[in-house]
Amino acid sequence: MPEIFIDGHRYEFEGEHKVLQFIQDLGKEVPFFCYHPSMTAPANCRQCMVKAGQYMKSRETGEYEVDENGDRVIRWFPKLQTSCNLMAADGMVILTQETDEQVKRAQKDNLELILINHPLDCPICDQAGECPLQIQTYKYGPEGSRFEVKKVHKPKRIQLGPRVVLDAERCINCTRCTRFTQEISKTHQLTITSRGDKNYPTTAPGREFDDPYSLNTVDICPVGALTSADFRFKARVWEMNQTPSIDITNGKGTNIDLWTRDNLILRVTPRFNADVNDHWMPDAGREAYKIFNENRISRPQQKLDGEKVLSSWNNAIATLSEQIEDTDNTKILVIASPHASVEENYALNKYTNLLGLNTPVFTPHIEEGTGDGFLLSDDVAPNTNGCRLLGFKELNKSGICKEIQKAELVLILNDNLVDRSVITADQLKNKFVAVFATNNSETSEVADLVIPITTAAEHAASYVNVDGRIQRTYRAKETKYTNRRIDLEMSEGRLDRYGTNFDNWVTEDNKIDCMPMWEIVNNLADATGIDINFRGGREIMDEIASSVSNFSGVSFAAMDEHAGIQLSIKKETSTSK
Amino acid sequence: MSTVDWKNYTPVLLPDIKDLHKIDVYTKNGGYKALKSVLTDKKKWEGPKAVIEEVKKANIRGRGGAGFNAGLKWSFMPPADGGPRYLACNGDESEPGTFKDRKIFEYNPHVFIEGALIAAYAMEITTIYVYIRGEYKTYIDMMEKAISDAYDKGYIGKNILGSTFSVDFYVHSGAGAYICGEETSMLESLEGKRGYPRVKPPFPAQKGLWGRPTTINNIETLSHVTGVINNGADWFSSIGAPTHPGPVLYGISGHVNNPGVYELPSGVPILDLIEVAGGMRNGKILKAIIPGGSSTPVLRADQLDGITMDSDSLRTVGSMLGTAGMVVMDEDTDMVDVLWRIAHFYHHESCGQCTPCREGTGWLEKILLKIKNGDGEVRDLDLLLDLTTQMEGRTICALADAAAWPVRFTINRFRDEFEARCKKKSHAVA
Amino acid sequence: MAYEFTKEDLQEIETIKAKYPEVMPATLPALWVAQRRFGHVEPEVQRLVAETLGLPEAHVHGVANFYTQYYKEKKGKHVLDVCTCLSCQLCGGYDILHHLEEKLGIKAGETTEDGTFTLNQVECLGACGYAPMLQVTNDKYVNHLTKEKADELVEKLKNGDELEYEQIKMPQHKNI
Repeated sequence: MPEIFIDGHRYEFEGEHKVLQFIQDLGKEVPFFCYHPSMTAPANCRQCMVKAGQYMKSRETGEYEVDENGDRVIRWFPKLQTSCNLMAADGMVILTQETDEQVKRAQKDNLELILINHPLDCPICDQAGECPLQIQTYKYGPEGSRFEVKKVHKPKRIQLGPRVVLDAERCINCTRCTRFTQEISKTHQLTITSRGDKNYPTTAPGREFDDPYSLNTVDICPVGALTSADFRFKARVWEMNQTPSIDITNGKGTNIDLWTRDNLILRVTPRFNADVNDHWMPDAGREAYKIFNENRISRPQQKLDGEKVLSSWNNAIATLSEQIEDTDNTKILVIASPHASVEENYALNKYTNLLGLNTPVFTPHIEEGTGDGFLLSDDVAPNTNGCRLLGFKELNKSGICKEIQKAELVLILNDNLVDRSVITADQLKNKFVAVFATNNSETSEVADLVIPITTAAEHAASYVNVDGRIQRTYRAKETKYTNRRIDLEMSEGRLDRYGTNFDNWVTEDNKIDCMPMWEIVNNLADATGIDINFRGGREIMDEIASSVSNFSGVSFAAMDEHAGIQLSIKKETSTSK
Repeated sequence: MSTVDWKNYTPVLLPDIKDLHKIDVYTKNGGYKALKSVLTDKKKWEGPKAVIEEVKKANIRGRGGAGFNAGLKWSFMPPADGGPRYLACNGDESEPGTFKDRKIFEYNPHVFIEGALIAAYAMEITTIYVYIRGEYKTYIDMMEKAISDAYDKGYIGKNILGSTFSVDFYVHSGAGAYICGEETSMLESLEGKRGYPRVKPPFPAQKGLWGRPTTINNIETLSHVTGVINNGADWFSSIGAPTHPGPVLYGISGHVNNPGVYELPSGVPILDLIEVAGGMRNGKILKAIIPGGSSTPVLRADQLDGITMDSDSLRTVGSMLGTAGMVVMDEDTDMVDVLWRIAHFYHHESCGQCTPCREGTGWLEKILLKIKNGDGEVRDLDLLLDLTTQMEGRTICALADAAAWPVRFTINRFRDEFEARCKKKSHAVA
Repeated sequence: MAYEFTKEDLQEIETIKAKYPEVMPATLPALWVAQRRFGHVEPEVQRLVAETLGLPEAHVHGVANFYTQYYKEKKGKHVLDVCTCLSCQLCGGYDILHHLEEKLGIKAGETTEDGTFTLNQVECLGACGYAPMLQVTNDKYVNHLTKEKADELVEKLKNGDELEYEQIKMPQHKNI
């Protein structure tokens, strides 16, 4: 097998590898700015310099040549090489900054040059704390600057588009953003303008950078040149905690991170998953952070004489179980939801099964024209395939309406059926409607009983995307009943870790008074004398895997290990576009 | 040291023939004979490879500045696979001090066209582009006319001179960017993009224009091909300096009486060349020369004894032949001003792609401006020298090197003059 | 004002496109066609070029802004590009520049109030042996400049006289 020697260690490799990527994959490091694994390598930042050479092999024997001391003979490349575009070759010798002074010096030299025209405004720059330039300058840069002449001035605070702001002075011309619009989103909206040290990225004059994937350029910008118009100046990154999750605004199941401070989700960024979304996500999904914070249902609500009033949990559970007991089983309609997780749907289903009710029904949420052949599908619900694989009855709009007509008691699991015009408020009149919901909506508005449940940011649960991949979320945000310090799976930011609930940066109101669906099911079962005792998403998934063949082999541990698991789905029912 | 007999040399690229730029005059004087020979004389030329071998043997070292054997470069082209292959002729000449290729466009365009066609035949090229800097509007028009005449006479187009060889030939105008003289940047510009030099490998012979095999040659280089085919490789390699043979278009500018382009053998002694150009202006004393375009290291007058215009001789004193565009400076020349102006040029022309060049060229210029204005300090000189090491060899193309060398060598070779200027400030402060 | 290519321009652009296997290579020549037609390639013209070629506007903008000869804003009727680089510097290029600045009452980079002249300082134009020199509006070179010759040039241009192409004879070396 071909071998390569990096800083004196021997590694075997197969296939084609760029040296920089190979080093990174080993968990080692060479500093860089312009390289991005999903785009072409222009080698323009010149930061990832290494010393490269080749062990000489005898033409006749194929053996390595040795010198008089018995050491292998190395033919060094005449110049230092950028490792980002250097292809690994058999017998190649690489020295990085770890072992070679010349390389260390070259990297330091380059950083000094990058910094001469870069403003020293880290204290007011959004990128600070997650800035490759800042981090790598600390690690590999010069201690001071010898630059005593005037910096180049360029446009600042330019609203490039609705979501992206440019500070051209911070730009180091890595061209990641322009390459993104050329190679990934293919809108070709950005170009570098001017020449030399006056270079900076821009749109065509008078045109907006309204690329539906524009915010990815903010993510990949290695400095603070491109920042998010929405997130700008909202939080320092070190104050937030970062939790892996899944985009619930579309069926594609884009892997994301939720960034939380004081139990508010402040931004959403894409999380790498080679099988789903690579490094990218649509701008649309980023706006979703608001649904975790705003317009939430906190505490159960009940309609009394047409007035919505807050209710206690005990009262809400008692009311609902009485309604169920008082209604003929055939007159009870349970509507499951493609907007709820597999575990939530399963829990509700198990309860209704044991009660002897009809199998839950659901209706997919398709918005024609949303799909773009990239990271958006027409199916805008995160778990349509989950409902199918659980064996729920899939109905179209008229099917649902027919079922509702027959019912006296309607239970709706988190699905804004009125808002999305599947049913009308009128159709629900004279029936007892109970919804389990995360946010206030026109649907919750008409309900007689509203039971607040956790969002994807508050529970660990799974969703099956349009391609049949099951992936799960983690708890990012505390509710009234959870606690980061006890729940070892929850991440902690600096503010969470240092301080107490009595500190003035802690806002108790940001914790919603809601419960995971399965806990509500536990309570309902208890009230109805049924034996159900779910402990959490992880255990529910184990139960599903052993009882529903479609999910066999699925577990949180397996999903964590493989970044999701591909399930087999019937392609014809898939709404992937 | 053997001296080159340049005094009895008769120009071949730019001979004294009236209206040679007209195709009829050119053919009357033996024009397109070489093309006819390679296309039809199967006894003499056993196919394209034989042409490459002859050119390789002649050792035409690239006249664009790099000095690489043209025939050897041609031999890097992969075997023809039926797809398009390109020859890109580099007429971007923009290096300060260089103004020779325009003479070929103006006075003998067909010797270039013929050479390019032979090159195309040898490498089985399907399309030739000649990239001419946009400022040469006049010469672009002249070349358009010459190419159109050659099409009319059947020297370009389908089945040239009844052979199976067909090729198209187009002019592509630049629009103001020195960097497009760098061969891969020129390819980008030809492809309609910003002139950013490409990362090598892949080399143009493998992946050039539109990802297809491409060779890039300088105009003068290609023009010499015609003579090599007509008179043989030995004729060419016997002219001038043995390791860098052949006629050279010397562009002489600066403080001489008769500046201009002179065609002479390679290896002419530098001091003789100054005399060829009429000697020093106003009877002044020679101070320094830049031998081959602004990027080549400056030489003091006291370094020039016995030094000739070829790469080997110039190397002995730490310089290069470059484009053979020699800039002559007299005793009144302010080397600080000259160096600042050169630095200004490279700062202005850096494409901005690579960090060391984009940032370094500007920094060099700004420090030099400070020194020029009398605000410099001696430590600035060491900073400048340090910066040249931070730029050299660290970028995709050689523009950073071209910007760094003049700074390093001008300071090193005129250190006293620079220090004197820097000390002015210290005195003023004192 | 909306810019439009004439039928002849469009024909010329088609001819240009035929020289290349793709459309993008036509960017530079099409910008030249546009600049000759409209006198500049302001953003509106860049947009026209992009639309005509079916290429992204940002691409055309990036290209137009890379190359110095494209006028990204309106210029004077005559643009005097005075070379001050190396050989021209040595031979008095700056004197010519400063003389013209004084004569026209503008600084390099500016346009006279009546819109007749724009004066620029430019990099090497490849006429080093004929320094100092200048180029008029991306076209004719005026070589071997003296202050008097520069004055004459300004008058000529003001009068609307056509500039002649200054042919420079090939010097033949004499034996020394």
